[in-house]
Amino acid sequence: MVSVINTVDTSHEDMIHDAQMDYYGTRLATCSSDRSVKIFDVKNGGQILVADLRGHEGPVWQVAWAHPMYGNILASCSYDRKVIIWKEENGTWDKMYEYTGHDSSVNSVCWGPYDFGLILACGSSDGAISVLTCSGDGHWDIKKINNAHTIGCNAVSWAPAVVPGTLIEQPTGQKPNYIKRFVSGGCDNLVKLWKEEDGQWKEDQKLEAHSDWVRDVGWAPSIGLPTSTIASCSQDGRVFIWTCDDPAGNTWTAKLLHKFNDVVWHVSWSITGNILAVSGGDNKVTLWKESVDGQWACISDVNKGQGAVTSITDSQQNEQ
Amino acid sequence: MAARWSSENVVVEFRDAQATAMSVDCLGQHAVLSGRRFLYVVNLETPSEAPRKISRQSKWDVGTVQWNPHKTEAHLFAASSNQRVDLYVWRDGSGEAHTSLQGHTRVISDLDWSWFDPELLVTSSVDTYIYIWDTRDTRKPTVALSAVAGASQVKWNRRNHYCLASSHDGDVRIWDKRKPNTAVEYVAAHLSKIHGLDWHPDNEYILATSSQDNSVRFWDYRQPRKYLDILSCQVPVWKARYTPFSNGLVTVMVPQLRRENSLLLWSTLELNSPVHAFVGHDDVVLEFQWRPQKEGSKDCQLVTWSRDQTLRIWRVDPQLQKLCCANDIMDELMEGLTLTTETEKTLRSQDSEPPLSPGFTADNSQEQFDGPQSGLSSSGKNDVPGLPQTLQQEFSLVNLQIRNVNVEMDAVNRSCFVSADCGANRVRLVVKFPAQYPNNAAPSFQFVSPTNISSSMKTKIQKILTDTSLQKVKRNQNCLEPCVRQLVSCLESDGVMEDGTNPYVLTNPVTPALPAFPRVSNTYGSYQDSNIPFPRTSGARFCGTGSLVYFTRPMTMHRMAPQTEPTPRSLSALSAYHSGVLTPMKMRTESQTTLRLYSGSPTRTDKDQVSISSFYYKERKPPLSTPRRWSVQTIHDCPKSRRWKGKREGGDYSSRPIKLSGKVIIQEISCLLPVHKALGETYVLNVNDIQDTCQKNGAAALAVGRRDLAKVWALASAATNVDLSPDPDPDAGTPWAKHPFGRHLLETLLEHYSHMSDVQSLAMLCSVFRGHGSPQEYFTLYGHQQPRPAIFTAYHSRYPSITSSSVTSGSCSSTSESANTPWNMVGRESEHAPPWGESSPVDYCYSNQIYTDPREREKEQHDMNKRLLDPSNSWQFDDFKKCYGEILHRWGMKDKRAEVLKFVSCPPEPHKGIEFGVYCCHCRSQARGTQCAVCKRFTFQCAICHVAVRGSSNFCLSCGHGGHTSHMMDWFRSQEVCPTGCGCHCLLQSTF
Repeated sequence: MVSVINTVDTSHEDMIHDAQMDYYGTRLATCSSDRSVKIFDVKNGGQILVADLRGHEGPVWQVAWAHPMYGNILASCSYDRKVIIWKEENGTWDKMYEYTGHDSSVNSVCWGPYDFGLILACGSSDGAISVLTCSGDGHWDIKKINNAHTIGCNAVSWAPAVVPGTLIEQPTGQKPNYIKRFVSGGCDNLVKLWKEEDGQWKEDQKLEAHSDWVRDVGWAPSIGLPTSTIASCSQDGRVFIWTCDDPAGNTWTAKLLHKFNDVVWHVSWSITGNILAVSGGDNKVTLWKESVDGQWACISDVNKGQGAVTSITDSQQNEQ
Repeated sequence: MAARWSSENVVVEFRDAQATAMSVDCLGQHAVLSGRRFLYVVNLETPSEAPRKISRQSKWDVGTVQWNPHKTEAHLFAASSNQRVDLYVWRDGSGEAHTSLQGHTRVISDLDWSWFDPELLVTSSVDTYIYIWDTRDTRKPTVALSAVAGASQVKWNRRNHYCLASSHDGDVRIWDKRKPNTAVEYVAAHLSKIHGLDWHPDNEYILATSSQDNSVRFWDYRQPRKYLDILSCQVPVWKARYTPFSNGLVTVMVPQLRRENSLLLWSTLELNSPVHAFVGHDDVVLEFQWRPQKEGSKDCQLVTWSRDQTLRIWRVDPQLQKLCCANDIMDELMEGLTLTTETEKTLRSQDSEPPLSPGFTADNSQEQFDGPQSGLSSSGKNDVPGLPQTLQQEFSLVNLQIRNVNVEMDAVNRSCFVSADCGANRVRLVVKFPAQYPNNAAPSFQFVSPTNISSSMKTKIQKILTDTSLQKVKRNQNCLEPCVRQLVSCLESDGVMEDGTNPYVLTNPVTPALPAFPRVSNTYGSYQDSNIPFPRTSGARFCGTGSLVYFTRPMTMHRMAPQTEPTPRSLSALSAYHSGVLTPMKMRTESQTTLRLYSGSPTRTDKDQVSISSFYYKERKPPLSTPRRWSVQTIHDCPKSRRWKGKREGGDYSSRPIKLSGKVIIQEISCLLPVHKALGETYVLNVNDIQDTCQKNGAAALAVGRRDLAKVWALASAATNVDLSPDPDPDAGTPWAKHPFGRHLLETLLEHYSHMSDVQSLAMLCSVFRGHGSPQEYFTLYGHQQPRPAIFTAYHSRYPSITSSSVTSGSCSSTSESANTPWNMVGRESEHAPPWGESSPVDYCYSNQIYTDPREREKEQHDMNKRLLDPSNSWQFDDFKKCYGEILHRWGMKDKRAEVLKFVSCPPEPHKGIEFGVYCCHCRSQARGTQCAVCKRFTFQCAICHVAVRGSSNFCLSCGHGGHTSHMMDWFRSQEVCPTGCGCHCLLQSTF
């Protein structure tokens, strides 16, 4: 049954902009307009404030946990144009790195698949996307894609490290040669796909369907199937599901999931990539699932402002 | 104060107008909006009334519309439509087109009524002609100016009867209508297209041009080579027009980019930052015009029309008008203001005095103000629009509330003294500003005592400062503040590296005690914020494996805007929702060096700041109108709402601070997922007994209610039955895998679970069937004829035992000589084939080509056919397993994960072997081999025989002594302490 397992009172002094749990689901990081990032231990339904990270000088928009094989690392981005990477060492959280290479608010941060090492993509309102790679000795290598989105970049999301379609051509006995790819969305109403070729980031695809700013993009995790899937949402209230069966990754088809009445701010995929959580300006959360025949259906609804996610199947059962 | 700054007092929406142009008549009574089907005449006195319509039949949009600016002809307006200009008469609430001016052969780009002669109208077109029409004779133009190039704008001079200006791409031409053959003057004004042209209202020679090249330039056409002043914006400028009051200028950005929906008011004397932003339009502003002042009123009104289909009227009161004047006047003005709030007072004092410099004495501050001030006022008198930036201004406006830094500024000597302390590092720096600064002249930086940082650090800082300053002054921008900030960040990052402590932590505890309320909030500027997306106040995210984390806006906060209105797009919308509002003063202090309005100081605690929460109305009354919210809701929020209610009833509610952050809710949604944690725990993978594995897994699936999976496991059990196991001889019949219930059945199952995204079932099935096939097949594949050594039954899987790989790789050179382990034989034996552990079916495909014997090939074909899992898809199967492995990892089942990953056909990168590096025990240099390259002595001597050791060795990790393995074994058979006599209990120390 769908059930609330924890309710965390963050005591932030202003509105919350993001909340995310770590890899194991034992810790929760939140960020807020009060310029702080907080980390809570939420094991077994508890809530213990582990750290209150101060360092940003403006509202903090988003947080992102790195894969635990690199340690307990959290990235945060803010209106103050900075990206801060925090690391826990001996139980205390400290700044590991501070990136100040953007000229405007940094709106999104996303860690790449662990196969690529410690790699972070950041999208900013200055229109650029930065890709930071930790070289191991504490130095960060920075690659910046200038003017990735005119006016501004609002969201970035990495592709899973799989090589769809090109499975058999791989040389034997070696690690598959994964291509680094990510998707971004911006104020030019576009969704763009980027890939790294010879160490340089290149625009791979440009997906057009939205009629207003793209607010979030999410590349679905792969379970090994040859189809790549991306969700994008926009100020225009639309959520699109983009799929690509083509091994070369060139033909993407868009499918409208739903048109909401208000801006859609966020899309998030479940770990198996078959459920999408959508949230937006209407203060609601809805869950969408693809049926076996490829149709997307809303399987839940969060009641306005305070409700729990009640799965429709649950409520039907209750009625019976 | 709100009315003063955010002075929009009328908003009217004309949803269907679709108007492209707008004009306000000279009496200030009417505005005309030109749509494609109708012209709408809005009465500005009662704008909310339905507008009167004049229908028009044209497939073209109206390009420009303009009322006649003469009171005697105030009923007349002109509208251009493609190649034609229609003249309309508006009388007694109705209007009609009474005549047309036809002559242009291409689309008309602009039209302008003469300021002096009510009958004269000028039109410009891309057909390269500029026509001046007399409305008394509409058959043909009275004057034709031939420009050769198409014109985009044409404007009559406001002071000179005969003079007019036109723009052609990036050039401006000045015409005398009496000399139609050639232009009087050419101004190569911009490198990109000019979108807007406006004559100075009082000076006959001065005009402003706005261009695609992101700038507004001011020209005296008598000096066409050099602009008087430039206003650099970061986006193309659509229109820049002088205000009816002195020294003001209003700009809008290029509409096509949909970037900037605010209008900006600038003082032409101070172009560093805007004086005010008119924020409110949700889409680009298409047109703006000033409504003539009513008699007796000192207010000006700006009428704007935007693509959001709203007409807005903004009041600009005398205070705001005066802000466009010079600083000193402004100070005077602020002095006289009794309404000034606390916040603004502090801001004002920051503005007029250099902030935060204890070393700054009253004397030199006086001096500082006297000196450049005179220059300031004299340049003001010159009637030059715009004023060059002075050092004094920079000093007085610079925001240096930076941790650990003190700056003493001396404008008279054009220098300042920066002292920064960061941990143990002390830096004293003298900055000298050359006379031309900041116009492409960078200041110099010099370290003075007691600076105590290393010389390399000095060089580094020097370079950073020089780079930063050059970068700024190249654009004629001030650089003091960015330089100081760079200095501090450089020192801080250095401090972290050097002594391992973060000075930030030292000076500022990670969790400083915060005042509970008023909150520390952030300042939002409005200018650049228009391209920053409006923040999320709710969101949901799948986390871990089976959790949904979400937060919503607290239910006590409702949107100020009606529900029907969509949430704004950009952050700049916030300022409209804020009561305290951004004062221009604040904008000026904080945006000195760049156009960005961002406060860099975290110490600011102004109460009246804009936050995202300003957008939402904080409820203070019980929500009687919406009782639904109380009755319907759910489990977890009940206690909360009850508490809330209780407080309200208790009457102390209003005194409580409103919570601005909602709760974060973590929900267990794993029931919605196709994978089960319980199954992850109970599933087994025993390759030695596939039948048993299938039965156990079937039972486990039944236990969690997955009856479908129970059946699948039953099928798997049947398919892996020993009876069906393939015969190695190709002639013995078709293998079971070729049967419809063989490979085909399995493929159908996999496809089904792929659709369900059930990666758990996929991975388990793939592992079981791979395990099923593997033991025999590996041997047939590589032609092992003899029975396998017993060791293989124990390590059945893809991963060879650790030992065999290390031996075959053979890189542990020092041990190979005396290696006496039985594993070595295995390694040698397999040398003729690729090490079995590291090959995959894919290997096999590739090696296929080398066999020429048809019987061999047939045999291989048969081997492929025997497999229930199609070998060509093995990469995909691997991905299932990796993905499931990842999920198991998240569940914390590391052993289970390893079990599954053993079946991955692509092995981890082959182990390259470990080589022990030896440091010479005499000179400590790294050595290879037995002899040190540096001191030529033996690197490592056996403690027993004192001969240099080559080959197998053992040594104690604690004391470092050791020697030949055989010697060491002999010694430690009877002894416990080190043979060198160092006293180390080697056996106890090196327990591993």
